[in-house]
Order: sequence, then structure tokens, then C-alpha cells
Amino acid sequence: MSAGADQRTEVVVTGRGVVSSLGETPEALFDALIARRSGIADGVGACADFDPEAAMTPKEARRADRYTQFAVAAADRAAQEAGLPEGADPDRVGIIVGTGVGGLTTLQAECKAWLEEGDRAVSPHFVPMMMPNAAAGTIAMRLGAHGPGFSVSSACATGAHAIGEGLRMLQRGEADVVVAGGTEAALVGLCLAAFRRMGALSRDGVSRPFDARRDGFVMGEGAAVLVLERAEHAKARGAQALARVAGYGATNDAFHITQPDEDGRGAAAAMRLALQDAGATPADAGWISAHGTGTPYNDKIETKAIHAVFNGSAPPVSSQKSSVGHLLGAAGALEALVTVEALRRGVLPPTINLEQPDPECDLDYVPEGPREAGGLQLALSNSFGFGGQNACLAVAKA
Amino acid sequence: MSTTDQTDVLQTIRDELAAIKVPGAQEATPETTWADLDVDSLDLVELVKALEDRYEVQIADGELKKIESVGDAIALVESLRS
Repeated sequence: MSAGADQRTEVVVTGRGVVSSLGETPEALFDALIARRSGIADGVGACADFDPEAAMTPKEARRADRYTQFAVAAADRAAQEAGLPEGADPDRVGIIVGTGVGGLTTLQAECKAWLEEGDRAVSPHFVPMMMPNAAAGTIAMRLGAHGPGFSVSSACATGAHAIGEGLRMLQRGEADVVVAGGTEAALVGLCLAAFRRMGALSRDGVSRPFDARRDGFVMGEGAAVLVLERAEHAKARGAQALARVAGYGATNDAFHITQPDEDGRGAAAAMRLALQDAGATPADAGWISAHGTGTPYNDKIETKAIHAVFNGSAPPVSSQKSSVGHLLGAAGALEALVTVEALRRGVLPPTINLEQPDPECDLDYVPEGPREAGGLQLALSNSFGFGGQNACLAVAKA
Repeated sequence: MSTTDQTDVLQTIRDELAAIKVPGAQEATPETTWADLDVDSLDLVELVKALEDRYEVQIADGELKKIESVGDAIALVESLRS
């Protein structure tokens, strides 16, 4: 353990990269969110303009599943903004980039080839393209990062867990810099069919978090990556602190494999832990970036959990999924990245498509937003995954 | 194997390497080595399948790894067809 590393080590964000249906820079994404634009078309939030060969050589791109291509593009930009590798010891740069479901495009294509044509039709690249740690491994190769590296996976909470575990890795003194985030490219027939069969997807393809008419989420795709760094290390390198990752809370519902615990206990506990970890009280949090999927269960139970934590004085709550859909394993990372930008600008993005209030969803969801919030100092970003796995990040102004 | 056949094998190798996006594939000559092309074992698995399919030969796993150049691969196909 390096000198001074402990639970209170200050950790800052020094770089950000994103691929989304609403743009490929944090600024473009945030501008689109506050312009109330939607990245959803034909029932999905696809990254239609993404060009993998802008980030990778044709050969590298061919050997990478779309989920890895997204992550590489996002990580490259995050590293660039952070000024890496300048001033960082490669042995102390870690990579934690997760995915909810891995290389499904590849899995679907290779299963088809194998079933129709047999063993010889299976690509030798199948396993390294599909495996859920491919993105983290590819990013490490590109950045020459020799510190700890792995993927985390907790379905829709993956991105938040990756950032939270990155925070812990820095606090434990195992790295000076951690490139952390989530990525997902699951807009493939097999996966869409499965979510549809579960009844999880909106039937009319509109994302309406917290609205009385909400009937499921809309799938999106993309990636978001943050460069996390010990504050003193960033300062020594001359890297700008864009925000502070102040706290992290992770809990398990231990209730049902897809449904949230009906009393919201696990979600509430994650928020309390993140606040406590940040040395903050509920009154310090000026905004919550909700998990806000637009499923009947999530939004009602998340509202209940927020009430339990904030006891009648909850801050405004927005769902970015209203605009970009649900990026599964990338969602928590993208939402954390937007939270950083909200703190920087002092502006809360809206929850769009919220027109018919639900009596069971009775918080301030910023439906008319964007809203000025110049005094915003601390925000929470909620992520709750299938499997009952919850993560909450507390992000503070730099 | 005639010169025409060797030219055909060379072009098949170039085309397959181009299909798997190996830089400089179409400029490869018999003297070009896998190292020159930065071709690895996974690329060679794909090349073997293309050669087997086109020339109806069977190349044992790893055979191409023992040879180092495009010319060696042409000679291997030639030996298997004769």
C-alpha cells in the first residue's frame, strides 16, 4: 500500500469519454439532454453514427465486438482528456471496464454459423470477441496500462460498480489511476427478443420514466469511461480535476432475480452508504440521477427508496434513460459522466416524456427541465441491476 | 503445380489476408513473411480455412505456424495437391 492510501483518499475525475446515441463527447451529450432531444428511434437508442475505424485500425475493429469498439473509443477520449500516459507510472494504471452481457453481436453470429455449418465455420476470434473482459483487456493494450485490470458485471449496475470499485482500488493504494466505466452493444435480435419476452421493454418504444403510462424500458447502446485518479497524483501531473468521486455504496436486494425488492430497502441502503462514504448527509445532495428505467416496478420502488432516505426533503431527480434509453452495463457509467457535467455546469438535465404524473411517483423529476442549479455541490447517481445488485455513486463538484 | 497455379494461390492468400484486414495484403509477394505482415496465429487459422476451402486440401492445425513466409504457404499447398 502506498503512503497515505486509506478510505478517505480523495479521488477525482480527470478524463471522460462517451459513445451514445446523443453524441460522442460529454459536452455534445449534455447539450442534447438539456435541449430535450431523444436518441431513441424505432424503439431503440442506437449509436447510428458510430464509426469503429475512427478509433481502431480495420484489423483491430474486425477483431473486436461492437461493445469493445465502443469502449475503446470512449477510453481513448477519456485518456486524451486526462493527458495520459504523461506523468503516470504504467504499472499503477488500472482498468475496470464492465459490460452487462458481453459480445452478443458476436455470440449470435457465431452460434448461427456453428449450428448451420459446423465447427469449421466458427471464427477463431469468437471467444476473445465475446468474453466480457475483452473491452478492459483491449483498452489496457492501447494505453499500455499494466496495473490491475478486469471486467465487472452486475447487469444494469455494471458501470456504477466499475467506477465505485475503481474508487476503492485507488483508496486501497493499488493504483494511481483507474480507467473505469461500462459498455454495451446488445441491440441484437436475440437480446431484444429476450427482454421483450420478459415484458421488460416498452411496447410502443417510448421511454417514459415516472409517467403513469410507463410500460417498460427502451434499449440503448454505447459506452462511457472515466479516468479516476488520486487527487494529489492528478495535481502532480497537472491534470485538471473535473469532479470528485466522493462516495460509493453497493448492496444486494437478495430478493428476486429481476424484480426489485418491493420496499426498496436495497436501493435505499446503497444511497445511504454512498452518502455516508462521502461524509455527507441527505441534505447535502442537490440532485439524484435516477436509475429511472421506465418499468412500472423500478420507478415506483426507486421513488419509495428515495423517500425512505430523504424523509420528505428529497432533491430533484432526473432519468437520463428518458432520452437515451437503457444502456444496461454502460448506463451507470454514462449517467455518472453526465452527473459530472451537471455539477460542472450547475444545470440539471430533464426527465423527458413525463406528461402524466403517477401518484406513486411523487418526487420532483424535473419534467419541464433543464433547470439551473448553480449551487449544486453533490449529486447521487443510482444504478440497480438485475440480480438485485445496487450501486450508488456520490459525485461532488471539484 | 504450374506457375499459373502458384499465382492463383498467391492471389488467394492476398485476398484472404485482405478480407481479414491485414495491412499490405495485396502487396504481399512470396518473399513476404508473416512477421512483415504482423500476422498472428488467429489470422493463420482463417487463412488455413480459406486455402482448404479453395484447394480442397487439409492443412493440419499449426502447419502454417511452422512456415514463415507467403512463399512457404504456396509450397505447402503445392505439396498437398500433388
